[in-house]
Amino acid sequence: MRLDLESGGSKCISDEIKLNSMTVGTYHIVNPNETIHLPPSHKLSVTVTSPKGHSHHHAENVESGKFVFTADETGDYMTCFVAPGYRPPAKFAVDFEWKSGVEAKDWANIAKRGHINMLEVEVRKLLDVTDTIHDEMFQLREREREMYELNRSTNSRMAALSLLSLVVTLSVASLQLWHLKSFLERKKLL
Amino acid sequence: MSLKATIVILGILWSFQATLGIRFVIDREECFSHKADYEGDTLHVSFVVIKSDSQWHFNEDGVDLVIHGPTGEQIHDFREQISAKHDFVVQKKGVYRFCFTNKSPYHETIDFDVQLGHFAYYDQHAKDEHFTPLMEQISKLEEALYNIQFEQHWLEAQTDRQAIVNENMSKRAVHKALFESFALIGASCLQIYLLRRLFERKLGMSRV
Repeated sequence: MRLDLESGGSKCISDEIKLNSMTVGTYHIVNPNETIHLPPSHKLSVTVTSPKGHSHHHAENVESGKFVFTADETGDYMTCFVAPGYRPPAKFAVDFEWKSGVEAKDWANIAKRGHINMLEVEVRKLLDVTDTIHDEMFQLREREREMYELNRSTNSRMAALSLLSLVVTLSVASLQLWHLKSFLERKKLL
Repeated sequence: MSLKATIVILGILWSFQATLGIRFVIDREECFSHKADYEGDTLHVSFVVIKSDSQWHFNEDGVDLVIHGPTGEQIHDFREQISAKHDFVVQKKGVYRFCFTNKSPYHETIDFDVQLGHFAYYDQHAKDEHFTPLMEQISKLEEALYNIQFEQHWLEAQTDRQAIVNENMSKRAVHKALFESFALIGASCLQIYLLRRLFERKLGMSRV
């Protein structure tokens, strides 16, 4: 996928990565003219941060790069591209590929190393994808259960708080009555 | 010829049809591009507005998405949608642009997914003797699985949105009840104070 960046601007993209899954990201600035080098204004700073804030990759003033790491926790990982300010402001596009989990597996290598034929590789890929889908479905079910619990607790909380409101109203009204009665009796009006 | 064909087939099959499910925060406008290399591919696109930046405002209006082809022509247009899904057949190969526009004053988090379905290209290679009917069926299965993954990602994003709505609702219920109680107590104290002042003044005047 391609992002557009301006000098001095930044774009941040996040993706959810599961614990212990490998993730591979490659980025490079698109060169509209193949023959000449990119001008000095076309430079990037890239950071990849984990959900807790640890930095997994950091690059300053580069034109392209790659990062590979294994996720140490499940959550939203954020990749930020920052284009350093330059006068006059330049606009350029960055090609970015980010794959994690099953997609990050290097199938060509696996096939070569295992000496298995094309058909088997394809079927293994299908098996991996099906496993991922199954896992995601479990996650969805888990999330739905959490939401059901939350809704149930919200329901009971609303009932309890409405009761509290009623109790507060009645007690405040009776306190008022008692206070005014004693006050007016004291002042010999009642 | 056969070796070349095999290499080409391997090249197609081993390029994983990646879906890129990403989340980003949009301010006013945000554009993404994706390269479609083959004509006849199906391009699937989906997006869901996950949440607004502010705690108290909830975005019901949605965002706009406009899809432009390689030569700038408009392919599809979504106006003020919270969640949408669309697919179309790639007529011209090149870079397709997806531009989001946010009309609400708050920042929105959007989950965006694009997937290219390669299968249509396989029809040309079915004539080649190395591309057995078995491989063709497996490729169809692969395409179907990737589509399932794409749909699941969309469903997951919508569930996320619902979860955030529910959490906000729960918090709001508690805040509302507490605020109500305090307001009630405050109002009755004010009442008592005013009544006492009124009577004291009246008493003061009548005694004199």
